Amino acid sequence: MTCVLSTTFCDLSLHHAITMTQPPRLSSSAPRTLAEPRYQRPHRQRLDRLATSVITAGAFAVLAAILAIGIFLLWESLPLLAMDDMALINSLSPLAWGTLKAALAAMLFALPLALGAAVYTAMYMPARQRTRIKPLLEMMEAIPGVVIGFIAGLILAPWVERHLTVTLVLLVWLPASALVAGMLWHALHKRWRQRLPFSSAALWLIPWFALMVLLALWAAPLAEQYLLGEDLRRFLDLQLGIDYATRNAMIVGAAMGFAVIPSVYALAEDALSDVPPALLEGAQALGADRWQALWKVALPAAGPGIFSAVMIGAGRAVGETMIVLMASGNTALLSASPFEGMRSMAAAIAIEMPEAAPGSSNYHMLIFAALLLFGFTFVVNTLAETVRLRLRTRLKRMGGGA
Amino acid sequence: MLASNQGHNNMPHQDQSCLSIDAFSLAYAGKQALHELTLEIPRHRVTAFIGPSGCGKSTLLRAINRLHDLNDETSHQGRIMVEGIDIHSPDIDVSELRRRIGMVFQTPNPFPMSIYENVAFGLRLQGRTAKRKRDDIIEWALTSAALWDEVKDRLHQSAWQLSGGQQQRLVIARTLAVQPEILLLDEPASALDPVSTLKIEELICNLKSQLTLVLVTHNMQQAARVSDFTAFLSQGELIEYGPTDQLFTNPRLRHTENYITGRIN
Amino acid sequence: MTRIWPWLCAASVALSLFMLGLLLALLLTRGLGHFWPSTLEVATLDSGELIAGEAVRETALPQRDGKERLYFTANRDIDGARWRWVAIDSIASRQTPTKLLRLQRGPWGDFIGYLSAYEDGQQRLEGEAAWQALATALAAPANTRPPATLVLETADGQLIRQALADIHRAQRPNAMHPGEKLRYWAHGVWQFLSEGPRAANTGGGVWPAIFGTVLMVIVMSVIVMPFGVLAAIYLNEIAHQGRLTRLVRIGVRNLAGVPSIVYGVFGLGVFVYGIGSSVDQWFFEDTLPSPTFGTGGLLWASLTLALLTLPVVIVATEEGLARIPDSQREGAVALGATRLETLTRIVLPMAMPAMLTAVILAVARAAGEVAPLMLVGVAKLAPQMPLDGDFPYLHLERKFMHLGYHLFDTAFHGDDVQAAIPLVYATALLLVTIVLVLNLTAIFLRHYLRRQRGQPC
Repeated sequence: MTCVLSTTFCDLSLHHAITMTQPPRLSSSAPRTLAEPRYQRPHRQRLDRLATSVITAGAFAVLAAILAIGIFLLWESLPLLAMDDMALINSLSPLAWGTLKAALAAMLFALPLALGAAVYTAMYMPARQRTRIKPLLEMMEAIPGVVIGFIAGLILAPWVERHLTVTLVLLVWLPASALVAGMLWHALHKRWRQRLPFSSAALWLIPWFALMVLLALWAAPLAEQYLLGEDLRRFLDLQLGIDYATRNAMIVGAAMGFAVIPSVYALAEDALSDVPPALLEGAQALGADRWQALWKVALPAAGPGIFSAVMIGAGRAVGETMIVLMASGNTALLSASPFEGMRSMAAAIAIEMPEAAPGSSNYHMLIFAALLLFGFTFVVNTLAETVRLRLRTRLKRMGGGA
Repeated sequence: MLASNQGHNNMPHQDQSCLSIDAFSLAYAGKQALHELTLEIPRHRVTAFIGPSGCGKSTLLRAINRLHDLNDETSHQGRIMVEGIDIHSPDIDVSELRRRIGMVFQTPNPFPMSIYENVAFGLRLQGRTAKRKRDDIIEWALTSAALWDEVKDRLHQSAWQLSGGQQQRLVIARTLAVQPEILLLDEPASALDPVSTLKIEELICNLKSQLTLVLVTHNMQQAARVSDFTAFLSQGELIEYGPTDQLFTNPRLRHTENYITGRIN
Repeated sequence: MTRIWPWLCAASVALSLFMLGLLLALLLTRGLGHFWPSTLEVATLDSGELIAGEAVRETALPQRDGKERLYFTANRDIDGARWRWVAIDSIASRQTPTKLLRLQRGPWGDFIGYLSAYEDGQQRLEGEAAWQALATALAAPANTRPPATLVLETADGQLIRQALADIHRAQRPNAMHPGEKLRYWAHGVWQFLSEGPRAANTGGGVWPAIFGTVLMVIVMSVIVMPFGVLAAIYLNEIAHQGRLTRLVRIGVRNLAGVPSIVYGVFGLGVFVYGIGSSVDQWFFEDTLPSPTFGTGGLLWASLTLALLTLPVVIVATEEGLARIPDSQREGAVALGATRLETLTRIVLPMAMPAMLTAVILAVARAAGEVAPLMLVGVAKLAPQMPLDGDFPYLHLERKFMHLGYHLFDTAFHGDDVQAAIPLVYATALLLVTIVLVLNLTAIFLRHYLRRQRGQPC
């Protein structure tokens, strides 16, 4: 009843098919069967086992090296237990403060930029453009810290010192000018709006910003003269009693922020673009616009991923050495002023370690600082990584279910 | 040698059996996938495993090749005997076993090398062969897989340039080149178009003069067309096993009938 | 609100790109511009004083109206300074005489002034003939130049004598036409890449630093690749994919986030003070107390950076291995291949681009890394190259120069940072170029790899 083709196919086909011929002999001996001795080529198996153990040994060597770092740092920090607590706290606290201050300044600078850029590329940019812009921004990560440090410490810092007003004005005016550009855009004729679509705003805003920088360079000194009647730096110094150091927290923040942007951006962008499009479309179908969909649906869904991006950025900012070394002035101060320098743990290690005699208390102290850095970044990164992995599986499930 | 000549008797006889599965169970990550299967697979015949997806038919096929070794979360009980030898016995050479039990997978998986090198891959594993002899074997294997005429002028082009059906026949040729005694086919035509499927089916029928073939398929027409014996599996258990004609026209069990008439899936 | 935020987000992308572009443009113009023979001028001040030099920049005067201009006047041996600020109001006239000469000299840095005579023992040449003789003498290789002396005259008429042996290049930029300038520029770039530093790192080239960086990176790759690839193969192909493997994988990934300076501390404490000192006690007892391996050196630096780049290699290789479909492995295994045969014949060839990507990324990371090297073996001026004709040719214990550290040192520890900045720009540009090219290659390879994986089936 079911099987119409109960006459087998083979009966029909045999007449016109190529019948299988006897195979050529592989070796001169008679063909082997399974009943014969089974160790035909035992060295293949032996070689295989050998290779497996070599690979395993290599992997365990790597694991041992990783563990050795932690163990070494711990072991060499132990002598500190015998030391005076106060001396330790006195020498470490400015460094710890400097590290935190530098990291905080960097995050203040990097987070808005990195997260904003991530939102824009994930949500508004056409896929084609995204595949070009994203690697470009991630490329920033490759620029060596020593180069950024050089630019910040020797070029940017003196420039900012000379143009302090311009710098401060730019900090406010650049974001504001983007809003101005937005208002102008909405007022534009429709034909022009199509020629300069919002989806490529990231590109056509660049010349706009260049224009705005020039504008600020021209207008800020005039405003300074008009409002203060003198140079802002002198005003800060004489009227408000604020010291301005050439290499200060602001410079470090900008330089290290620049270095941190790409890693935060890349991870946050990944998290946002992993959000299943169906979720966003669902929200938009209910009448939400793109930003509301992002705010109400995508951000909560990608929240852990963004959190881990921020954590990893913080880890980088805490450990970065060359930028702080070159752009901070290296003064071990306990000051909260953004116009004063600091000395971070990493920079202190880089400068003092080669001179510290092995076994001296300074040597152990510096190793303890390294241990703190190691422990902090390790914890932060583990946290970030577990959160990220968990999120990824969750989003996959959501994407599959939707 | 025609299948229909053998069709009148019921189960394959013990001494015709090439592969015998004896109370074989397999658990994967603590979950039982196969429950005490027992069946004899006859020499130089096509045996088909059918059943709903997830019934364990592919698992059983992979177990015959000991592919579940690659995953270390599996455990098994019972025996699978090939020509009277337990394939799980500790002194067996797994590579040699796998050479003798060829396997073709659902999606064609040619290696990223030339057509020639794909077929020569298994031969090279066996050690040095003179080039003339190797060329002979490769021509024979490709001819047997009904692919020679299509590729003889471009043997040194990448295998990934072939069409899906050609790729699958290339994989069969690759397997034939090492001269296996048993050929396991895991839904070999499920990713192919109807014409390629027809070619593969034709090929299966031609190969049984030399080999024992075991075919997993979800396509019951295909099982009916090409196989001599059919085993129906469901939820890891063997429900019914017998000559294809008999199983399809006159199933003993209601469950089997429901499945082949499409009442359950 | 919903209209404001998207604009701010777009602005973030634009600003990031703007900053990146600004940085690269700055490096490019300043780094390459340094070698361009810029116009020299003679400024006559109201007081009648003559200043010869290169105009660098202008800024507003600090307290008064008006501007001042910075001249690079060179001639440190004569007036003790290389720079001079001049108020623009006080300049009466500016000329660009074609005979104005700029010499690059050994110990004292550049000279700007006039060539008054060329003396080589037998004859004394003056005027155009002297310039011709100087040009021919400098065209010859350094060791075949005649023992001549130059009589030089500064803009304000002081005469000095200068041995030819200390002079590296001479130019009269005001007399050059653009083609000549371009040739001079190209030659300058080439000298920068191929010569050693001079005048306390404020002149000359960076060849020893390039060489040191490359050698260190090669030794490092030789160490890190086998271990990284083995570990990746273990994690992806052999290990039981359980909780422990996942933990190890997270651990490895985290190592990539550990600050590089921590690796430097580890390298100093374990390799240099630990292993190095022991090696000295066992094998180099005769030279103690001056350390051989017990101080920073090429080997320890390479080892430290190998440890630093290990996670990079493992992660990139593992990504490549994970992208190889299991069906390929099963296909090989089903034909009777052992695990080793599957690995060497199928998996590793397919993972080749990934491993290449891994080594390139590791090299890019190592080439830009400076902080750990400061602890384990980099030198501001290495007297000997770590690779030379003396047995055993490769001297792993020697200190070496590194581009990144050279940059840091020149920019922050030189005696005249202002004079060194153009050279630092050039070094920075070179470093960034190397690192970016390496990264671009890696991105391209990865892209190629993904496209290739997308094709089959």
